[in-house]
Amino acid sequence: MIGILWGKIRLLFRKPGSFIVTTIICMVFAFFLGKSTYSEVKVPVYSSLPDAEVEEIVNELNKSESFKYVIETEETVKNKVADGTVEAGIELKAESYTLYQVGKTGNYHLINEQLNSFYSEKIRDNAVREQVGDSSDVMETLKKAKANPLFELSVSSFSDQNKWVHDPSLQSLFGFALFFSIYTVAFSVVEILREKQEGIWDRLILSPISKFGMYAGNLLYSLILGYVQIALIFLVFKYGAGVDFHGGFGKTLILIIPYLFTIIAMSIFIAGLVKTIGQFNALIPLISVSFAMLGGAYWPIEIVTSDILLTISKGIPITYGMEILKGVTVSGLSYSDVLLPISILLLMGVALMGVGIRLMESRHV
Amino acid sequence: MLEVFELTKRFKNKEAVKGINFYMEKGEIVGLLGPNGAGKSTTISMISSLVLPTTGDVRLRNESVLKKPEKIRKVLGVVPQDIALYMDLTARENLEFFGRIHKIKKNDLKKRIEEVLEIIGLKDREKDLVKTFSGGMKRRLNIGVALLHEPELIIMDEPTVGIDPQSRNYILETVKRLNEEKQITVLYTSHYMEEVEYLCDRIYIMDHGEVIASGTKDEIKSILSQEQTLVIQVEILKGEFLKGLEALPNIKNISVNDPILKIIVPKKVNILNEIFVLAGETNTNISSVQIETPTLEDVFLHLTGRQLRD
Ligand SMILES: Nc1ncnc2c1ncn2[C@@H]1O[C@H](COP(=O)(O)OP(=O)(O)O)[C@@H](O)[C@H]1O
Ligand SMILES: [Mg+2]
Repeated sequence: MIGILWGKIRLLFRKPGSFIVTTIICMVFAFFLGKSTYSEVKVPVYSSLPDAEVEEIVNELNKSESFKYVIETEETVKNKVADGTVEAGIELKAESYTLYQVGKTGNYHLINEQLNSFYSEKIRDNAVREQVGDSSDVMETLKKAKANPLFELSVSSFSDQNKWVHDPSLQSLFGFALFFSIYTVAFSVVEILREKQEGIWDRLILSPISKFGMYAGNLLYSLILGYVQIALIFLVFKYGAGVDFHGGFGKTLILIIPYLFTIIAMSIFIAGLVKTIGQFNALIPLISVSFAMLGGAYWPIEIVTSDILLTISKGIPITYGMEILKGVTVSGLSYSDVLLPISILLLMGVALMGVGIRLMESRHV
Repeated sequence: MLEVFELTKRFKNKEAVKGINFYMEKGEIVGLLGPNGAGKSTTISMISSLVLPTTGDVRLRNESVLKKPEKIRKVLGVVPQDIALYMDLTARENLEFFGRIHKIKKNDLKKRIEEVLEIIGLKDREKDLVKTFSGGMKRRLNIGVALLHEPELIIMDEPTVGIDPQSRNYILETVKRLNEEKQITVLYTSHYMEEVEYLCDRIYIMDHGEVIASGTKDEIKSILSQEQTLVIQVEILKGEFLKGLEALPNIKNISVNDPILKIIVPKKVNILNEIFVLAGETNTNISSVQIETPTLEDVFLHLTGRQLRD
């Protein structure tokens, strides 16, 4: 096993090109998409409410840093929307809003989602206010409670399903890291197939090394390769770009392992199924891109509303990978809170690995 | 040392090996000769425990190894038909990798790598990537890897395919030296009869999954002792001349390599007259006629009606 690792690492140092290139491309994508699509987008708003009230709403909305809401006149907003210089414009009302837009962009869902949750909270506050009468005492307590970070933290963790916390830079960082690591891992796993075809595998069979050792050496190498890539990307973003992991950095470095295990198992399963390496090479981009789309790597799964797509996403490793990584960072969850998605990943991995190795063993070359 | 009993291998729609028997004594070089597709590689894979036979048995020192493959793997070095090396590693790194896989101790391995590099004559290229090697050098390293763990028995599957004559001679000399100096037993597979004729003490000739002849060189050639080979060169080969030859009663086999014809005929028969008459009738000018002692190639031609190489 150590011997195999030694050989693989030698080969990597001889040809590190594709590893370095995918790592860099991944960083570039995560960096620019994390910055531009979400945080720099300006959304003009207008309202017939009193100025002070509008300002308060806008300040509240801008706290999330997802979009920049700017107050303008009704005419400018409508013109900008019609010209297409902005993606959407909004009329803010006391207890509802109207969203103007020309074409449906990816941001439409995000804006809609944010306004939705903002207004439902506002309506709830109003309801509380009506119930207890306009006692400024209650409002003070509410305000205090909101300002208190301890309380905020506990709210976001238990209400994770209802209240959606969005961090665009982590979303795209995690999404692209999980997406690109599929390539890195899959193309290292398929080397087993190549070595079978070239007869190197036969040489290993004839040596004293066991079958278990052969697979373990190869798959451990794939795990290390994928791990180093993701860890490298995370480190660069944390210390280089100053991305805030909300205190979950260490946890992410551990919790990418179950995800990588599942991807390795999936790769060996596909390698066992295909007839040629060419087929494998054609399948991987197809699978990884559809996984990324369905599993919420390109855009947050939270904005997907179709039941069918959500059901499909339950069978996709990326969904759980994203859930775990976002869980322990943005939502501040603990290890035990993400035990379920971890178990699902491990279960998928064990099943795919078992079938995959069987398929690999039963094929001749 | 090694015996094979009634070995057969059936693939889904094809019987590649049909019940072959053979044996090897310690220190012998045994040749397995046959055209492409004869079933040589399949036989070798079964002996080396890479492929399970459909029926039959493989015995090492009178002990069946089908259920105990580790026994034969320990004493065996296999040189595969295809080059099974890492192209992006150097010659030395390849040897080091497979040495580690064979669990050779660090210090021993260092020494062993030097020895092997010496044997295969690649000492001066040890630091070069295998992908920069010529076909002959790759073949030599392919052999070198199989020698690392000092096997008693080496099985070589067409180790000289597609390389230049110098490399080929080098490999043949190496095999001979290994056998003479280290008493390594060799099973040498080839479809080049000259190689087998040069190297091997005993020979098995395979065709269509069967052993069609076996024995020492002389024994095999004596199959043809009742026959002789005529090599006729004509100026222009005409269809009628060939048809006429085929119609002659005593001719056993004709192989055509325009403008040269090889004909096998019984020794006693004097057929030359008839051939010259036929040439006259068909206006064919014969430029030369030779009578040859048979080669293994001729034996193959005799047994199958085909040439070893097409
Ligand atoms: N894995 C396999 N599946 C099906 N047919 C095979 C397989 N391996 C070899 N054969 C067939 O068996 C025959 C013998 O092949 P092989 O042993 O490679 O011959 P040789 O080494 O003498 O050229 C060939 O016709 C080949 O097509
Ligand atoms: Mg062969």
